[in-house]
Amino acid sequence: MTAAATEMRTPVKQSRFMRRALPYILSLPALLMCIGILIPFFTAVYYSMLRYRMNLPAMKGFIWFQNYVNFFTDPKFWNTVYISLTYAFLTVVLELLLGLGIALLLQRPSRFNNIASILLLLPLMTAPALAALMWKLMTHPDFGVLSYLLTLVGIHDFKWASNPDTALFTVVLVDMWVYTPFIMILLLAGLRSLPKAPFEAAALDGVPRSFVFFRITLPMLMPYIITATLFRLLDSIQQFDIIYAMTQGGPGDKLLVFQVQAYLDFFQATNVGRSAALMVILWAITYALSNVFIKQWLKLRERAHGAH
Amino acid sequence: MDHSSSLEKLLRSVAITLVLVFFLFPIVWIFLMSLQTNETILRIPPSIAFTPIIDNYTALITGQLRTAAGSLQLNFMQNMFNSVLLSVCSVALSLVLGVPAAYAFARFKFRLGEDIAFTLLSFRFAPALLVLLPLSLYFKTLGLTNTYIGLIWVYQLICLPLILWIVRGYFEDISPDIEHAYRIAGNSWWRTFTRISIPLAKPGIAAAGLLAFIFAWNNFVFALILASADKQPVTVGALAFVTASGIQYGQIAAAIIISITPTLALALYAQRYLVEGLSMGAVKG
Amino acid sequence: MSQLAIKSLTKSYGAFKVFDGLSLAADAGEIVVIFGGSGTGKTILLRLIAGVEEPTGGVIEIGGHDVSDIAPEHRGVGMAFQNFALFPHMSAAENIATPLRAVGAAEDKVKAGVARVAKLLKIDHVLNHAPRELSNGQKQRTALARALAAEPQILLLDDPLRNVDAKLRFEMRLELPRLLRQSGATVLYVTQDYKEAMALADRIAVLANGQFVQMATPEDIYMRPATLGVARLFGDPSINTADTAIVADGSGVHAAVGGTRVPLADSYRSLAGRDVIFGVRPESVELGSSGLEAEVMAVTPLNERTVLLLQSPSGWEFLASLPSSAATIPEAGSRVRASFAAAGTHIFDRQTGERLDG
Repeated sequence: MTAAATEMRTPVKQSRFMRRALPYILSLPALLMCIGILIPFFTAVYYSMLRYRMNLPAMKGFIWFQNYVNFFTDPKFWNTVYISLTYAFLTVVLELLLGLGIALLLQRPSRFNNIASILLLLPLMTAPALAALMWKLMTHPDFGVLSYLLTLVGIHDFKWASNPDTALFTVVLVDMWVYTPFIMILLLAGLRSLPKAPFEAAALDGVPRSFVFFRITLPMLMPYIITATLFRLLDSIQQFDIIYAMTQGGPGDKLLVFQVQAYLDFFQATNVGRSAALMVILWAITYALSNVFIKQWLKLRERAHGAH
Repeated sequence: MDHSSSLEKLLRSVAITLVLVFFLFPIVWIFLMSLQTNETILRIPPSIAFTPIIDNYTALITGQLRTAAGSLQLNFMQNMFNSVLLSVCSVALSLVLGVPAAYAFARFKFRLGEDIAFTLLSFRFAPALLVLLPLSLYFKTLGLTNTYIGLIWVYQLICLPLILWIVRGYFEDISPDIEHAYRIAGNSWWRTFTRISIPLAKPGIAAAGLLAFIFAWNNFVFALILASADKQPVTVGALAFVTASGIQYGQIAAAIIISITPTLALALYAQRYLVEGLSMGAVKG
Repeated sequence: MSQLAIKSLTKSYGAFKVFDGLSLAADAGEIVVIFGGSGTGKTILLRLIAGVEEPTGGVIEIGGHDVSDIAPEHRGVGMAFQNFALFPHMSAAENIATPLRAVGAAEDKVKAGVARVAKLLKIDHVLNHAPRELSNGQKQRTALARALAAEPQILLLDDPLRNVDAKLRFEMRLELPRLLRQSGATVLYVTQDYKEAMALADRIAVLANGQFVQMATPEDIYMRPATLGVARLFGDPSINTADTAIVADGSGVHAAVGGTRVPLADSYRSLAGRDVIFGVRPESVELGSSGLEAEVMAVTPLNERTVLLLQSPSGWEFLASLPSSAATIPEAGSRVRASFAAAGTHIFDRQTGERLDG
């Protein structure tokens, strides 16, 4: 035994350097990715302080915060802020209510409910840009099935996205179609992970169901609701795909949300400075929101890990 | 909870049915449209009584679209090929790069790791155009505009953070003792990583890979800005379709159905991973 | 030359010092039990030796070679973990086979090796099971088998009986010494169960506050504990103590305990006047016709022994542990006289807690 043991000793040295360097080598791609994000980010910040129009290269110059200052007196900018916030608010509130409702309907894990919740994943798996196209076909003035259905209830000539008064409604509807399932899935997972004991106790005591819902279910579900809401809010305030595919920001300036406006500023007006300034402002909004969000999220994450 | 009255049961069923109709009707309707000629599509009232045709699909596959204005060349299959290539390569690259990095973040507590994690986390919700617009100018300088390599490279912005976050959570759930035991048993770090850590994190890697694929496939804005027609995926390609003059509506519908089938099929096939990935990505991270 | 040597090993996490200069040498085939309460870093010590963690300072030598720069897989160490750490995606047989496969053993050698340890540990019948299908006892045996499979020269066992039920622990305590001897390996065995330590060890190293406070044979640890802390750790119920001082006068050397004088060996005379803690093990409290008067407050029968809670007239409460087979066991409320057998009586310095020998 001892002989065998001594013979086995073939000291293979491993370099201390390699051992120390391992974490850094492994995370190198992620580091490069960070750099790949940070360089364009700082470039954008820099551009936002330039007078920079690609069609007028001679005018290019550093103007500090003039692009931002201009926004204050720019009704187009305030229109963008207004539309973006309205869109975000409407989609999040409606999706939250609908998603919560569906999650409550499907709460009990029966076979039918499980199949239904799987089928409801499908809109979420549809590319938002393609979803917008699908709804465009369904709301077509000539043959759109939805336009036809409206005539059955006596609404004629409903112009959907091409009418300034109903354009917002239309894109919000598409957004709801795509993203309500996201909230539904999160809340369903949350509902099904709630401890059973409080509900059983309440049922034994004959507590009214509305009381159970508002005093037990809702508070316990709150972390999930907050997470899902902030997730959607951050996404929704930056919505581009659905709106661009549906109307390219029109009709008129009706749907010129932040990203669509910045896109048009950049590629149509070729006003790089203004476009970059818009994006930096949107970034600041999302950054502030996401800080709130990340705190909530980490809390929930801790809980999820703890439950393991 | 189980003594709900039959009236309540009825109301529940009606509500669920309405929900299912709202969320599934568009997919079903577009599918039906894709099997019709322009004539039957344009009928008022619309009807589901028609003889299904597959001409729209064959036209898309052969690239010969007959329109009112004559024959039109539209290479939708090229878009489809681009989508497959971009999504598959992006996810593959992301897995190769992201899984080891996720492991490093989960196992080694080091300053740089924390910084990277924080940066990626705080940019996770940054507007895409903030990075894309300056990048489009850099791409022009570097000659990467409208190249697969350039696109796969920026698609990492979609896939890599997703994989990092989800897979990291799974690695954290593996007891370090299991890895230690394998090493002490005489295996190198790399062998331990490939034989123990990766197999044990497989559900997480599958979920993350699946989600990354779907997100890459469904992406619109990256290719809209950085690619021209011949390199564009279906999401952007289908949009160009709508504006093509004199195109048949059935063909647009067929293009949409072809474009969404891969992700929908994947979602149904692997829904368990998908739900896990979604809730991990959102909740567990 | 010792098979395993640890020299002034230190380990800290940030400002927190786990080890402050540990030294230990173990010969080939020796079983050393690392004993300490929870949080004393026993597991960390094993990890440092196995090489999955790096020490802050000091040297670890295996077979006379410094292993600082040698990766865990080349240290020739086998380790069994407290939580078993079985590979969940491999069968029990494959788990046990890993160390053999790692060195590239031929298939028949692997089979024979697995069969050998499986037979030794009586788990041949569950070899094809996945870890999740095994009982805790079988998991623990599989983990041990895996550690033993490659006949390592050093075997590190991290409280392997912690997570198994009492019956199994009892059986294994009887079985393990033979098994470990047979392996011929130098064994470091971590536990916080003093009976396990006493049953298995050639030597026990008691870990406290980042240091080995005592390293000695089980008998020595029990009979001559180096500190009050060690005395308290070994023994159940634990040692009785009383604050007192050593008095030397014409009648001899003694200490006042519970309102009476307890005579001490004459050798303690040099320590007269010192503030000390008097300690006596419950099993060394003898009931008879002379000695300290005490009232029996409670009687607790514990299988082979019966524990009495006694109180002296001065209010000192202490325990006595008698064999349950003893001719007479006093009842609660009765009055007895207690004397203290010299072998179980220890004097500790009140400031340092160190043992004082006369």
